[in-house]
Amino acid sequence: MELQLELALSSSSGRGSDPNQDCNRRRKRCFDTAFLGVMESVDSPQTLPLLIWDEKQRSNGELHEQKRIHDLAASDRNVEDDVLVGWPPVKSWRKQFGHHSRRVCATNYVNVEHGGGDGGGRGLNSMYVKVKMEGVGIGRKVDLSSHRSYQTLIAKLIAMFGKCEDNVETYKLTYQDKDGDWVLAGDVPWETFVHSAQRLKLQKNGY
Amino acid sequence: MDPDQSEDSPSNSANSHGPTQPQSPFPDEVLEKVLSFIDSRKDRSSVSLVRKDWYNAERWTRSKLFIGNCYSVSPEIVARRFPRIKSVTLKGKPRFSDFNMLPRDWGANVHSWLVMFAKVYPFLEELRLKRMTVTDESLELLAKSFPRFKALTLSSCDGFSDNGLKAIASHCRNLTELDIQDSVTDDVGGGWLSCFPENFASLEVLNFSSLNCEVSFDDLERLVGRCKSLRVLKVNDSITLDQLRRLLVHAPQLMELGTGSFMQELTPRQYEDIESAFSNCRNLQVLSGLWEATSLYLPVLYGACASLTFLNLSDVALQSSEFAKLLVHCPNLRRLWVIDTVEDKGLEALGSSCPLLEELRVFPSDPYDRHHRDGVTELGFLAVSRGCRKLRYVLYFCRRMTNAAVVTIVQNCPDFTHFRLCIMTPGQPDYLTNEPMDEAFAAVVKTCTKLKRLSVSGLLTDLTFEYIGKYAKNLETLSVAFAGSSDWGMQCVLEGCPKLRKLEIRDCPFGNAALLSGREKYEMMRSLWMSSCNVTMKGCRLLAREMPRLNVEVIKDEGNDDGQADRVYVYRSVAGPRRDAPPFVLTL
Repeated sequence: MELQLELALSSSSGRGSDPNQDCNRRRKRCFDTAFLGVMESVDSPQTLPLLIWDEKQRSNGELHEQKRIHDLAASDRNVEDDVLVGWPPVKSWRKQFGHHSRRVCATNYVNVEHGGGDGGGRGLNSMYVKVKMEGVGIGRKVDLSSHRSYQTLIAKLIAMFGKCEDNVETYKLTYQDKDGDWVLAGDVPWETFVHSAQRLKLQKNGY
Repeated sequence: MDPDQSEDSPSNSANSHGPTQPQSPFPDEVLEKVLSFIDSRKDRSSVSLVRKDWYNAERWTRSKLFIGNCYSVSPEIVARRFPRIKSVTLKGKPRFSDFNMLPRDWGANVHSWLVMFAKVYPFLEELRLKRMTVTDESLELLAKSFPRFKALTLSSCDGFSDNGLKAIASHCRNLTELDIQDSVTDDVGGGWLSCFPENFASLEVLNFSSLNCEVSFDDLERLVGRCKSLRVLKVNDSITLDQLRRLLVHAPQLMELGTGSFMQELTPRQYEDIESAFSNCRNLQVLSGLWEATSLYLPVLYGACASLTFLNLSDVALQSSEFAKLLVHCPNLRRLWVIDTVEDKGLEALGSSCPLLEELRVFPSDPYDRHHRDGVTELGFLAVSRGCRKLRYVLYFCRRMTNAAVVTIVQNCPDFTHFRLCIMTPGQPDYLTNEPMDEAFAAVVKTCTKLKRLSVSGLLTDLTFEYIGKYAKNLETLSVAFAGSSDWGMQCVLEGCPKLRKLEIRDCPFGNAALLSGREKYEMMRSLWMSSCNVTMKGCRLLAREMPRLNVEVIKDEGNDDGQADRVYVYRSVAGPRRDAPPFVLTL
């Protein structure tokens, strides 16, 4: 362990001949990731919480300095990742492939999605699911990771299907969970819903 | 242009004052006729430098415009020089924007270009855009301004929606190509496909595989049925297997196919039907899509694989056994894109089944290492290099590598032109010896004399860059991340690689001295990107001051100290500083 730590440090100790540079701060991500990378092969569970250096959120002017990463209940990992922006260099729209299913919309890190600029449009982890509205022939897709609550999701869906004049309350949202069952949305916490919903259906109340 | 000739002297005037150009042996028409046969960009560039009448003849006969960096020149300058353009290729954002390293609204909006083209190139036929922002308004302008418009490619573009595509479908009567590759939009909506008129039948290329939308299958089927010249069809995953079968029945002549979703419960009858539909596609050279394909349904493809030269499996995570079985049917494969779930075992099968392979790209299924899967290692790469000696292009994502393996790999395959190795953990050494990976890349640049593109990774000292500068004489593109020890490394590259055009660097200890050492070089390059390095605002300002023909742009991260230049983008330009730069882009 000590040896590996040293390796990580020495790889950067020769860097930069300018003593005025504060390498530490900017190398922070490097150190963390190098450290993590070296630990990767060890089976022992990680308990260190690692922090993302979250870059500015230009579009709405907020400043996120550092955020803790949400530990997802759905995950069976022990490690909380430190995710570098743009690394590894895979195109942001490429889907990731989960452990059990062939293709899962990637597990969503709420912070990461907004971190480090959104040049690619979809962010690091988008979660598109199909959604059908009762009575409309052609279905659509919606990115669950860009919502925070059932309300905003339903409002977006209503707008998507062009029914802007209708109220959110006139619709009920059902979803198909991982077991294939159709369930009424709203009973489980938002995060749980986001990770179990495979597809959505929007129906007018009273049916 | 020949500096000895004055700008205004006509080529066959008989001026007695000042130097005059000797009379041209050819009348202009002959020169123009001859030059109209020259297609290559580089040749045309050379031609235009010979003398003034050649410059003029060249500009009048050029019909294809290629602009590798949309900010290196302006629409006005282009319009003035080239009066007769029919085909335009425009590239916008730097490549690192693919990896979320540029904020949204950075720029590269095509609109001002289209406005100019509408004015001066009414006979425009082709537009190929890469990494540009394309709004619906722009697509509408495009659709209405060019009556002869034929081919549109939007590669890694953003900014448009259903409405823009509707305009294209409705108004471009002569459209032969609509190719939307990797373009990310929130929700396009699928109504556009239904906007092609009932009598529209000229489509040869239709690719909407990356779009998030559901199209009307009936309209798609009718469209495919009408377009008898269709040779490329790539649908998205909203199209089911059975629907695909119906499309194939209408278009067995397809040369390139992107399937829809391959996950469907099929009856035995349906299975047979789709198998026979695939077998009837005797011209298939390129196959992609295959979302959610499983070992159960992959075999329906086998009949179509004999003539396959490019198999793109980067959207389906196959296991080694089903992958190996599929490869047996693809002996003519030249290009393969695959996900690392096939593991080393799968790559061994590749080495045995596809001796003609020239290009291999292995993508990570789990780039953020959440599931701790093995993926591929140096062993898989070695196996491929042993079986596929013609390999010249590789993109390989892995979690471990050794110097010895890379040395052997390039000995087996010395013809690499593109070597992109991504050891996913930053700064990782040779996992057997714990040494830096310097010797690996030394071997690459020494052995592969034709190398044009190189991406390095792993633990690397300045030695790697000394080797690159010394040996990589044909290198045009270099990508560096988490590597190097000091300014010296970057200086070696800048001083050494005569053909360098694009240099992209992130998270390296290169500072102002390195940045400034390349000042003259950058004028001969397309661009330099440096992010999270040791460059300061002072260094950037100095560069900008000394090199007025370079645009030096800095994007700062909020919260970092004012002296740091967090993201630096340097490129040559005859158009001067950007007029459309958003507030977070500082032009120095």
